Amino acid sequence: MTTFKRPLRVLLAKLGMDTHTVGVTVIGHALREAGMEVIFTGLKQTPEMVCAAAVQEDVDVVGISTLSAGHTRSLPKLARLLREAGAGDKLLVAGGVIPEEDKPILEQAGVDRIFTMGSDTRDIVAYLESWWAQRLAEDAA
Amino acid sequence: MNRPTGPITPATDPIAREEARWQQETRGPAMGDRPERRDPFVTQALKWPIKPLYTPADLDAIGFDYSADLGFPGEYPYTRSTRPNGHRTDFWTMTQVTGFGKGEDWAKRARYMLDQGLSGLILEYDLATTNGYDSDDPIVEGEVGRAGMALDSLEDLEKAFDLPFDKLRYLMSVCNAPQPVNLAMIIAALEKKGVDPKDFVLHIVNGILIEYTCVGRYIYPPEHGLRIATDCIEYIIRNHPNWAPISIISAQLQPAKANPVQEIAYSLAIACAYIDAVLERGLDIDTVAPYINHFVVNVDMDFFEGVCKLRAFRKCWARLMKERYGASKPEALKIRMMTSPTTIALTLQQPLNNIARLGIMATACALGGAGEAMTTPLYDEAHALPAENAIRVGAAIQHIVAHETGVAETIDPLAGSYYVETLTKQMEDAAFAEMEKVFAMGGALKAIETGYIQRALGREQYERNKDIEEGRRKWVGVNHLTREDEAREIEIFRLDEAMEEEQIRKVRDLRARRDQPAVDAALEKVRDAARTGANMVPPCLEAVKLYATHGEICNAMRDVFGVHSADSQLMGI
Repeated sequence: MTTFKRPLRVLLAKLGMDTHTVGVTVIGHALREAGMEVIFTGLKQTPEMVCAAAVQEDVDVVGISTLSAGHTRSLPKLARLLREAGAGDKLLVAGGVIPEEDKPILEQAGVDRIFTMGSDTRDIVAYLESWWAQRLAEDAA
Repeated sequence: MNRPTGPITPATDPIAREEARWQQETRGPAMGDRPERRDPFVTQALKWPIKPLYTPADLDAIGFDYSADLGFPGEYPYTRSTRPNGHRTDFWTMTQVTGFGKGEDWAKRARYMLDQGLSGLILEYDLATTNGYDSDDPIVEGEVGRAGMALDSLEDLEKAFDLPFDKLRYLMSVCNAPQPVNLAMIIAALEKKGVDPKDFVLHIVNGILIEYTCVGRYIYPPEHGLRIATDCIEYIIRNHPNWAPISIISAQLQPAKANPVQEIAYSLAIACAYIDAVLERGLDIDTVAPYINHFVVNVDMDFFEGVCKLRAFRKCWARLMKERYGASKPEALKIRMMTSPTTIALTLQQPLNNIARLGIMATACALGGAGEAMTTPLYDEAHALPAENAIRVGAAIQHIVAHETGVAETIDPLAGSYYVETLTKQMEDAAFAEMEKVFAMGGALKAIETGYIQRALGREQYERNKDIEEGRRKWVGVNHLTREDEAREIEIFRLDEAMEEEQIRKVRDLRARRDQPAVDAALEKVRDAARTGANMVPPCLEAVKLYATHGEICNAMRDVFGVHSADSQLMGI
């Protein structure tokens, strides 16, 4: 088992008017159980609000849950705002209802990883842990 | 939450003695060294232990008393049915909720449905509307007209109500947070159409408290949400006594993974919050309860949890009205339910399997008493827009259950089953215990404000997801009998940018040509009423008639009430 210097800090957020929270709640519990610090922004957030929260809370990871069709606009905008705020090194991940054909658009725009419906929470935890281990190793080097 | 450890069987009971003998002489030796296929056997949502066998000794152990626990159909405590003749006179009303297109297309779709012989319609709004924004608010970009009709002003409703009102007898309006504004718009639109409100039933869902626990379409802090919902209930009881001022959509708690005990306890505690608030306005319980007894309840795949939940629901409502409020009129003691198979049991994978699931769940609904109406989701629901075939099959499922299975030919046919009565009683007891816990906190409003209910649901969501990921619950197509080659295509709505732009143009155009000083004055009256505690419906009515927009009136209330923002604690994360 990997031990980390400090727990990974994750900001979870929902963009736009979509208010379905079962997915983000399950992820929140799974990450916390894996020892991560989880902060939830609440509902009905704009990209500007999420970016400000990510900077203020000094998180390592920003996780967006989206079940609304607005993700092709809001996610690239969030990625751009994070870069402009000097927070482009944070890991930006998204999950929810995201059609296959949208994935390249989002990845090109700066979303690091997309987990679609039915993803196993253990895979998500493992991905974040390995990203964090690599980041710490890079910092140490 | 209280979980029974399983009934204690008194050893003195002759049947219990026989059961012990059977265990030793017959079952034990037959099992030999082979383990059972599940360890432990538990119900799906509650995870309550299931014994290998239930006998009269179990009924004795829980103190089962036919007269007190069941009684007769149409009589207190209504466990067997609220209807004296069950479904032998009429079947439940068979309904189906389908999408309604968007914007001004709603009238066209509604006319089509009325031509098909329907006399009742359900009007759903987009997320901009239900969250209290106008279509041109930047925060709702991409949501206009998507999940339902876009409603910015009375003009939109005037167009939507271009309908033959001689055919339309019932309209359900699904709008929770901005309900006084929505109610006012509908009243104003009906007036313009010259519809006599006595000849027509408007049913507003008005269920704001559940929104704070799971769905999230709230605007104001919970105390203000409850207050304006109460304004609507009071206004309807006093002015339109033939209308329906609220539905408790227990079927929203269920997909948020409330187990049957939590579902009964929280939805009834929430009903009590509305009842208490209306009673404070000087009405009596026998007048109020028949307006707040309309519930929508889902049934999941655990057949017996489903059947027993519906039976326990009826009894819990009756007991609560009698014991807590001293209600005496049968109309106050009888719950009204619309039941439905749940969508969360349906899978995206292998969608035809969902037809089997729907048939089983609809049978459980019918065996649990069905209620006044039943609605069936569609087997391709997880995919997106329902295909015509799915709509036909959805309707056929209810007819197959009703006409071909015989389950509705006698009243409450599962009554007396040792297992069913044990589970029903355990659910009733546990639901009352959980309700008492909520009442001890100060009631549902307090339990929501402190995040108690949200956290309870959050834990269930996580635990039950783990059951599937770790294989304790087998789900065909998801973690059992899966097919590697299966393409998992999801259709998703694409933004109709032209529609959104048109709606934005319309609302801006309206603002430019109306009597602005009059609108400003009307909005100030809305703020005044919000501050003084006067009923919100009359000032909203005045404002909508002057074409103040939905978002403007919601904003006027935001000025006074503030907005609800939920952090991790309040979201159960």
